[in-house]
Amino acid sequence: MKGKSIFKNIIFWVITAIILIVVLGPLLWIYLTAFKSAGDIMTGQLIKQVAFTPTLDNFKRLFTAFPFFQSLLNTLIVSIGSTILVMIIALPAAYSFARWNTGGGHILFTTISTRMFPGVVAALPFFILFQKLNLLDKHIGLILLFMYFNVSFATFLLYGFFRDVPVELEQAAQIDGYGRFDIFRRVVLPLVLPGIATTSVFCLIWSWNEFLFAFLFTRNVARPLTVLISSFWGSIDVQYGPMAAGAAIGVLPTLVAAWFMQRYIIRGLTFGAVKG
Amino acid sequence: MSRANNNASGLGVYSLERKPSAWETLSSEKYFKWVLIIPLIVVLLVFMLYPLIYCLYNSFKEGGLSGTIFVGLDNYIKMMRDKTFWVPFSRTMQVTVICIIFEILIGLGIAMLWNRDFKGQNFIRGLVLLPLLVAPLILSLVWNFLLEYNIGFINQVFDAIGIGRVKWWEPRWALYTICAITIWQWFPFSTSVLLAGFKSLPRDVFEAAKVDGSSSWYTLRRLTLPMLSPLIVIIMLLRTMWLIRLFDPLYGTTRGGVNTELLDWMVYRTAFVYFDVGYGSTLAIISLYLTIIVGAIMFRQLIRALNAGTK
Repeated sequence: MKGKSIFKNIIFWVITAIILIVVLGPLLWIYLTAFKSAGDIMTGQLIKQVAFTPTLDNFKRLFTAFPFFQSLLNTLIVSIGSTILVMIIALPAAYSFARWNTGGGHILFTTISTRMFPGVVAALPFFILFQKLNLLDKHIGLILLFMYFNVSFATFLLYGFFRDVPVELEQAAQIDGYGRFDIFRRVVLPLVLPGIATTSVFCLIWSWNEFLFAFLFTRNVARPLTVLISSFWGSIDVQYGPMAAGAAIGVLPTLVAAWFMQRYIIRGLTFGAVKG
Repeated sequence: MSRANNNASGLGVYSLERKPSAWETLSSEKYFKWVLIIPLIVVLLVFMLYPLIYCLYNSFKEGGLSGTIFVGLDNYIKMMRDKTFWVPFSRTMQVTVICIIFEILIGLGIAMLWNRDFKGQNFIRGLVLLPLLVAPLILSLVWNFLLEYNIGFINQVFDAIGIGRVKWWEPRWALYTICAITIWQWFPFSTSVLLAGFKSLPRDVFEAAKVDGSSSWYTLRRLTLPMLSPLIVIIMLLRTMWLIRLFDPLYGTTRGGVNTELLDWMVYRTAFVYFDVGYGSTLAIISLYLTIIVGAIMFRQLIRALNAGTK
């Protein structure tokens, strides 16, 4: 009986190890490649793929030969800008939905349905509009677009967090003579801070990762990181080194967020339906 | 109750002596909820209606940017007969179904494996979540590199252990390769959702089943799966929503070539590569309708799940 359970244990750990290798391998590969010399990247020898002398050449090239910092800055500006805008709009709306069921569920339903709105459908009309308004290749243009595709998600996620706040607390505050606005600001907001943090991080990450709009609506000035990294994969030659170095840096914040938000990832990705 | 509210919002005492200020009116019980919601409604109206009306209007026209010829329903008729529409459409459905099936099967398998206490369980479950939030575009570039025929690590390993190199991006396999990359990134999602589901299952029912001597297959089919089915439905719906819109992994790998063109890529190509505004708009409208149907079913379900969860 005992021998069998040891055997079962070994199987369990072997399978678990395989799962981890499969999941983490490609992520690790980004970082391995980033520190390889050009020769080691293109090598046909298997040993050299794993055992190599690390070098910072790729990062040096990335920083000097390409507008990497500009792209990083663009991504930061656009992500943070759109997230702030989203929160300004989504916070009060989510509270209203959660507390008064404003619109009897219909407005909430419409709001969240817009998350289904295909990016490419919006892309063409906005491209032509932005051309007229001279918003192409501008930060503000991307900020507006990212706000548009994050706002419904944020509203819905925050709605779930606001619903967790007991109504009794607000009623107590009302009896104490607080006005509506003060209740929102002083009683409810502090209680949903974790929700606000979670939602903001998700909005930041979606904007950070976004590619379609970023690719269509920017050329040089406002070009964010994802587009720069994708440009290393040309149709004629591929700049593996700088690509891996750029990816290594670009992926880092999302990995950190995934690690520290473990508790909230599932809640966020399921729009709050599964609490994880 | 409503009288108490009026008193609390500061109107009660002074209302006889003077008219409430605009601020007091707006933050009163009656209007406050609408004041809060106005910005959202304005944003939604502008950002949803404008593209919709634009596409609808242009789908009845022909030609490029300056196309002014009204052609009625010609674009729609063209689309119905157009093989280049139906092929990407059916491909998209194929990808959606394949990815969802495998994600749920793999996710369920791993969730069942890990549904017990083991050393470092939180650490390991956390590690598996790591790819979830990484940009799909970057991951597809990395996978493209890993699967490269000559220098790709996976092909080198396959070569070394005698399987031989695989042409992952051959027209016959490329679509499935893209599916595999997507499944790789997203099975941790099903795993984690289902693990959360397992945690919430009532213990005693399973103990009773064990005492009754029912086989583990029977327990899985008759107890576990039915109890997890709401979660599986949520996974399916959410994943459908993401998968119908699959675009980034195409850009990082085949760029729509070798029989991998999907719905969104086709709209993108028509509108932005050929700049055929009329036909592009038509495709966009149809694409939108297809997703609205899925979305309508799905968010009703989600809201129901959300309400069930909090009550």
